[in-house]
Amino acid sequence: MSREALLVRTLVELADNLVDDFDVIDVLTVLSDRCVEVFDVDSAGVMLAAPGGELQVVASSSDAMRGLELFELQANEGPCVDCFVSGEPIVNLELAAVDDRWPRFARRAVAVGFHSVHALPMHLRGSTVGALNMFRMSEGSLRAEDVLAAQALADVATIAITQHQAAVGAAVLNTQLSEALNSRIIIEQAKGKVSEASGLDMDRSFQRIRTHARNHNLRLTELARGIAEGTMSIVALDPLPRARPVRAISSNPWPGSRTPPT
Amino acid sequence: MTAHEERMAGIVRRLASHDADGLGTLHLCELAAELTGSSGASIMLLSDELARGSLCTTDGVAAYLDDLEFTLGEGPALDAHGGGLPVLAADLAAPGESRWPALVSSAVQAGVRALFAFPIRIGAVRLGALTLLRDRPGPLADLQYADASAMAAVAARTILALQADAPPGSVAVELEEGANFHFVVHQAAGMVSVQLGVGVTEALVRLRGHAFRSDRPLDDVARDVVDRRLRLDPPRPV
Repeated sequence: MSREALLVRTLVELADNLVDDFDVIDVLTVLSDRCVEVFDVDSAGVMLAAPGGELQVVASSSDAMRGLELFELQANEGPCVDCFVSGEPIVNLELAAVDDRWPRFARRAVAVGFHSVHALPMHLRGSTVGALNMFRMSEGSLRAEDVLAAQALADVATIAITQHQAAVGAAVLNTQLSEALNSRIIIEQAKGKVSEASGLDMDRSFQRIRTHARNHNLRLTELARGIAEGTMSIVALDPLPRARPVRAISSNPWPGSRTPPT
Repeated sequence: MTAHEERMAGIVRRLASHDADGLGTLHLCELAAELTGSSGASIMLLSDELARGSLCTTDGVAAYLDDLEFTLGEGPALDAHGGGLPVLAADLAAPGESRWPALVSSAVQAGVRALFAFPIRIGAVRLGALTLLRDRPGPLADLQYADASAMAAVAARTILALQADAPPGSVAVELEEGANFHFVVHQAAGMVSVQLGVGVTEALVRLRGHAFRSDRPLDDVARDVVDRRLRLDPPRPV
């Protein structure tokens, strides 16, 4: 497959993940793997900021890369950390030249066999949410158009992630709204059935359902669903206590009798 | 910011100047009609391809149209919601207009000549539709179309933002204000279900059928049932 075809395929792959079965780690693993396939680099990985702001390793194209990235976070020095903090890309930086900038990281990276590093920021609305890192083992540099293309892939992945997060929030709220409306509808249906079967008006029918739910420690919605779907018999509902005004009893003009003579 | 986002921001600013007491759905429909040069507007909540009810309507005609769509189970809002794309009917009286025949003839009688429905959605999450009504035929201008889309996007975010503050299991009070979720229809469905000895879903179908045959809004028929002026008893055996 040509480089352009690979690029296009990767863009489609990342955008495809917008739809369903979305998995953040999946998307970023695809991004890391494709960077290694498409560009002249040997390993790639992605770090993202957790909600608290601290960076986390989310995806790596190889175990060596993963180990190095974890080391970078522990040492709190290296290309991804700097790129994340500054929001600026780091391109074609030879590890031999950065001994004083990142002494521990550079030594470790060279020991694992890497020669140069690149880190591209993952931006969202002006703030940096993470970084895409690419490491190279042999001499030579990444071409300017490759840097642009890699940045484009990182941008698409960032959009995919943030849209997914917004969509999850919206889907949860929409489901809650829909279920709350459904519960209300089921309660109204149950009120209607009780009203028709027992001759009570809607308010008294609702009181009867609620009273029964309280007496038997049932959830109102569940009881209403049982009534509406016919699995709960209306006759079996506890009767409402008879409304008996207190004053009428205390001033009962017919002592010894609970009801007035008819 | 994209042009769409700028439009949304402008709409939010205008709503904020209307609703001094905070976010609400009260002025969504009025502003939608105003921005798009429409004679009326409504916002319908839909789920599972079913009309749940309207959050707001500008006037009696818009409410009537929502009732029709709720009664008939067909119309532009349902189509926009189902298809996820705007549904445009710029001339309801045009000979070529063959969508929603029952709805269109009643709408035209009520003086509605054009209907435009925009899905209210965030990504794949679909909440309902914004419907614009016009008493004259003719398409939406490009800017009006852009404003309607932005309005639908603002409505989606407003609805979810309001619902986010609601206690678990209940509909946000702000959403119920001015809304018609047709609760009386579901009460009537419960009563008819006992009268006919059928399930509540079947009872709702019977109620719809009765409303359609008697050419009355479903809410009115349901009110008659609940007030015990109307019974849908089974036909007597011959």
